[in-house]
Amino acid sequence: MKAASLMLALAFLCGACGQSNTGGADAKVTTLGRIEVTAKLLDAGGEFPPNDLYDYAHIMKYEVLTTHRGMLDGKTIYVGHYNPLKPRASAADERSGEVGGNVTRFIAGDVHRMALVSPIDEHFMGAQVNKLPESEKGAIYWALWTNRAS
Amino acid sequence: MRHGASLLCILLANSVAFADDRQALLATELRSTGWIVFGARADNATWDLFVMRPDGSDKRNITNTAEFEEAAPRLSPGGNRLLYRRLAKGTKIDHDKWGFQGEPVVAMPDGSNPESLAAPGGYPWASWSPDGKAIICLTPKAIQIIDIASKQTIREMPRKGIYQQLFWSPDGKWLTGTGNHQGESWTVVRMNSESGDVNPVHIFQSCTPDWFPDSQRILYSSRPKGQKAKDGYGWTQLWSANGDGSDSKLVFGEDGFHIYGGALSPDARYVLFTKCPVDGGGSESAGAPICVMRLADAPIIQGESMDLRAVHPITNDGPVLELSAGWEPCWTLNNLDGKKS
Repeated sequence: MKAASLMLALAFLCGACGQSNTGGADAKVTTLGRIEVTAKLLDAGGEFPPNDLYDYAHIMKYEVLTTHRGMLDGKTIYVGHYNPLKPRASAADERSGEVGGNVTRFIAGDVHRMALVSPIDEHFMGAQVNKLPESEKGAIYWALWTNRAS
Repeated sequence: MRHGASLLCILLANSVAFADDRQALLATELRSTGWIVFGARADNATWDLFVMRPDGSDKRNITNTAEFEEAAPRLSPGGNRLLYRRLAKGTKIDHDKWGFQGEPVVAMPDGSNPESLAAPGGYPWASWSPDGKAIICLTPKAIQIIDIASKQTIREMPRKGIYQQLFWSPDGKWLTGTGNHQGESWTVVRMNSESGDVNPVHIFQSCTPDWFPDSQRILYSSRPKGQKAKDGYGWTQLWSANGDGSDSKLVFGEDGFHIYGGALSPDARYVLFTKCPVDGGGSESAGAPICVMRLADAPIIQGESMDLRAVHPITNDGPVLELSAGWEPCWTLNNLDGKKS
């Protein structure tokens, strides 16, 4: 009986902390795109523009902590997230194609597990807000799936 | 005065009335200059395609389909075919994403013989080739040129940041569209159709470009920086510029309204646009009044527009006709059977 209670408590704790037990891994993030990373959001690229009339991809700066799949240009990468004012689970539309995940807000310092493709222009056809001019030096990645990793 | 009153009577007989003599004269001038085709909310509560004379008379619903939403008609350069998008009933037409919505359809200019070219979502932002035998469309990986008869892709080229509203010049040498360019979104650009080289036409909050018949100038909407209204958001105006971006000029503006849907008559004597208090042109509701003016009367500023007049102190005071409500109008000098009038 004690063992069962302990198991139940552990299960509750794991549930309460979301997917921390998996590091953000799920069936989507581990299969979509050609690249999969765990990365820390360093700079969300300024204030997000309103999304009541127009939807944008917003370019953000990350430090890669772990590369799970694929090859990257370096430890610092620039990633376009579609309509970042929306939770990932409800961001997809006709223009974006499949995007999703369980991140609800983009806050500098958060760690995300992401499925990516590159370059963004071959996968997303819409307005890009890019307040990080240094990103122009290399490829900008397109986020297909974005989960919390911690 | 008597002349103006007579004109007014004639126009009233055609179910359109203009209170101002100059408006009445313009309406008379426009009466037999072809047809305007546009999308609008119909009595059946869905969006259908309509035609009317450029003075607003003889308006009629040419699709009248309660089971679909239909929008964004574009006449082929020869004026003998219509290309538009047909959406599932109840779909909200998104002014920013309509090129991804629904299926592309070609039909006769009177709406007859509609033929779907692809499944919903197919051929995004499709528009006509100069000879009317192909369409160009935008996909994330490339601009595609599709032969209508065979549905085969004739050619692909990099889209160079263009993401919507792609239109081929009448002479076939250029494309114009709205895109990301040099770190700035919402830039109207021109692309050389052979080399793929791109130059900006207007940087910053500009969109919905359309060609002048001479393939040299481009008509577009622009919401300039530095406006005071709406906490700096401002109002969208209609502008034109040469394809290399030089010689940009205001065509029409009015504080309190966003001006979209700019299109020229095939002889470039007149300009069509919509005038909406809500940004985007009103496709999500019932559109906005379609307006027509003489290009020779540009620039025109209407209303009090104190802020706009301060930036453009020298303007003309030509007449502007406000016609039926709609969205994305286009103009043909042909008859509705596609034959020359």
